[in-house]
Amino acid sequence: TCTKPDMIQKCLWLTLLVGLCITGILSLDCNLLNVHLRRVTWQNLRLLSSMSNSFPVECLRENKAFELPQEILSHTQSLKRDLKETFYEMSLQAFNIFSQYTFKSTWKQKHLNQIQIGLDQQAEYLEQCLEEEENENENMKETTEDEMKHSGARVPQLTNLELRRYFNRIDNFLKEKKYSHCAWEIIRVEIRRCFYYFHKFTALLRRK
Amino acid sequence: MDNWIKLPGCQYITSTKCSFSSLELNVYEEIKLRVRAEQGNDTSSWYEVISFIPFEKAQIGPPEVHLEAEDKAIIVNISPPGTKDSIMWALDSSSFIYSLVIWKNSSSIEKRTETVYPRDKIYKLSPETTYCLKVKARLRSPRKVGVYSPVYCINTTVENKLPPPENLEADVKNQSYVLKWDYTYADVTFQVQWLHAFLKKNPENHSHKWKQILDCENVKTTQCVFPQNVFPKGIYYLRVQASDGNNTSLWSEEKKFDTEIQTVIPPPVINVKSVSDSLRVYIGAPREAANKPVNQHYPLSYEIIFWKNTSNAERKILEKKVDFTIADLQPLTVYCVKARAQLADDGWNKSSVFSDTVCERTKPGNTSKSWLIAVICTALFAVPVVIYVVKVLLKGISYVFFPSLKPSSSIDEYFSEQPLKNLLLSTSEEQTEKCFIIEKVDTITTIEETNDIDEDHKKYSSQTSEDSGNYSNEDENSGSKTSEELLEQKMI
Repeated sequence: TCTKPDMIQKCLWLTLLVGLCITGILSLDCNLLNVHLRRVTWQNLRLLSSMSNSFPVECLRENKAFELPQEILSHTQSLKRDLKETFYEMSLQAFNIFSQYTFKSTWKQKHLNQIQIGLDQQAEYLEQCLEEEENENENMKETTEDEMKHSGARVPQLTNLELRRYFNRIDNFLKEKKYSHCAWEIIRVEIRRCFYYFHKFTALLRRK
Repeated sequence: MDNWIKLPGCQYITSTKCSFSSLELNVYEEIKLRVRAEQGNDTSSWYEVISFIPFEKAQIGPPEVHLEAEDKAIIVNISPPGTKDSIMWALDSSSFIYSLVIWKNSSSIEKRTETVYPRDKIYKLSPETTYCLKVKARLRSPRKVGVYSPVYCINTTVENKLPPPENLEADVKNQSYVLKWDYTYADVTFQVQWLHAFLKKNPENHSHKWKQILDCENVKTTQCVFPQNVFPKGIYYLRVQASDGNNTSLWSEEKKFDTEIQTVIPPPVINVKSVSDSLRVYIGAPREAANKPVNQHYPLSYEIIFWKNTSNAERKILEKKVDFTIADLQPLTVYCVKARAQLADDGWNKSSVFSDTVCERTKPGNTSKSWLIAVICTALFAVPVVIYVVKVLLKGISYVFFPSLKPSSSIDEYFSEQPLKNLLLSTSEEQTEKCFIIEKVDTITTIEETNDIDEDHKKYSSQTSEDSGNYSNEDENSGSKTSEELLEQKMI
C-alpha cells in the first residue's frame, strides 16, 4: 500500500499515529522534529533526483568514491542531541556545497533554488531545536547525567570530523575539476546518496 | 618512515616564532611538526610537537566589517574571518553566526547585542548620532567562538522626510498571501520586494537580488494581496517602501515569511490513558488539513485544561512536551481534558482552537491497586495448591476412614477441571498487557517508499560498477535488505 509517492504522506501520518498509540511518544525536545526532518529530507532527496533527467554516461569515468562515513549512522550509543548536531552539520555542509554553484546551463535555476531553500529549512529546524535544548539545559541544574554527556562529548566531535572530511573530499573534487558539468553531476548523485542515508537516520531520532 | 617535508616560511628563521598559513594541507587530517636548531654545520636533535588536527586547534579570527548609515538604521556588511581563499574555513563560509555589539559613542553603558547575518541591518537607532560597534564570528558545530573585530564607528544620517513602513505582517489566506503594514501618512503609494531567505546566509552581496512583487506595485492601501505563484514555497524576506511622488522612504524592516506556516494552527489531537491515580496525556499531530500537511517551524507549547466531570472547576497547565502526566488526581473519578496549541515564542500570540474533549476515569489508587493485583496473583497460585492439598487430604481421609471406597476419581475430576476452568474464565479480564516491540538495532529500518530510490540506485550502481570498481556497492546491498525492512516496517 505504501508504494506510490503520494501515499507516502498518508502512510507517514498513519505510521506516526499508530506509533503514538502503541509505543507511546518519546519525549521529544522539539515537538515532532523527526517527522519534519523525515519529510524535508525526503523532499530534498526527490528534488535532487528531479534536477537532472539522467546521469550523463560520459561523466562515468570521472567518478570517484567519496566514502560516506556510514559509521555515524550506526552509532546507537549516541545521544539524541549528538544525532541532531550531526544532522545539522550535514545540512549546513550540503547547503554550502550548493551555494558554490554559479549559474550554468546544467541545472535550471529554479531547481537549484528549491534545493537551497530545502536545505536552509532543514538547517533552520535543527538550529531552533538545538537552541531550545541549550536554553533548557542552561535552566536545569547540573546533574550526573549532564556530566556523563560532557564526558561523552568526545564522540560527536570525532564523528562530525569524519563528516567534515567527507565533505572536504567533495569540495576538493569540485575545485579540482573546476566546477565542470560532470563534476556537478557526480556531486549531485553523491549528495543524494548522503541524503538517503540520513533519511534512514531520522528513524534513529524517533527510535530513541 | 615518515616523510618529513620542509615547512615553507619557517626555514632559517632567527626568531622563535613562525607562521605557516600558506601551506597546502588538509586541515582535517593530523599533522606532526618538528623543530631543530642549526648553527653552521651543527644541528640539534629534533623536537617533535605532539600531533594535532589543525581544524580542531584553529581559532576564529576577527571578521572584517563595512558600514553604511541610514537615518534610523545601519547596514552592516561582514566578510567572514580569514582571507578569501583561506583553507581553514572553506567548508564554513555560510555557517558562521555573527554576534554584534552596538552602543552610542556618548554612553558606552547602553550596549545592545544582536545576532546578525553577514549582510544585515541594525534598526531602532536615532538619527544624527554616532554609533560604535564590534563583531565576532562563531560556529555552532563544532563550538568555536572567535575574537572581536576592532571597533567601528559611524554617524547616522539626518532623518528622512518619509519614514519607512512598520510592523509588517504576512499571512496565508486561501490561495494568496496577504501582507499588511502600518504607515502614519496618507496619500502615499507603496512597493513591495521579496528575497530568498537562504541568500542572507551567503556573504556575497545580494542587494541586487531583491525582486519586485508586481501585484503590489504602487498600492495605495497599507496592505497587499498577491497570488501564491509569485514564489515557490519556502522561506522569504519581504520589505516595503513608501513614496509620495517626490520623496521615497527608506526600506522597512525586513520581515521573515515562511509560506508553509498556516494562518490557523490546527487543534491538536489528544489521547488520554489512566495510569493508577494519574492521567497520561499524549498530544498528537493535528490531522491533515485539506491538501496541506501540517508543518510547524516554530516550537509549540500546549495549554491543557482539565476538570472533574461532575464539577465545573477547571485547572490549567502549560506543557511543552507531547507526552506528560497529570498527577495527584482522585482515583476512580472521571476527568475531562482538552488542549490547544500555542506558538511558544516570538510574541506571535497565535493559538489554535481547543481540541475535542476527552474524558477518562482514573484507576483505583496505587496501594489498593497493587493490593488487588496481589490478591489476584495469590488466588491464582493458591487455587491449584489448595486443590492439591484438598485432594491429598481427601485421599488420606478416605484411606483412613473409608479404606474400601474409591471416592476420588469423580471428585477429582470435578475439582480439577470445573473450578479451574471457571477460574481461568474469570481471570481473563485482568489488566491489558502492554506490548513492547523489541527489535534489532543493528539494521536501520526504512519505510517502503525508499524502494523507489533503491531502484534508481540500482540503475546507477549497475552502470558504474562496470567502470570503476571503487564505486561502493552499498546501494546494491541496501536493495537486498528490503525484505528485512518490510518485516521491520510491520513492527512499527
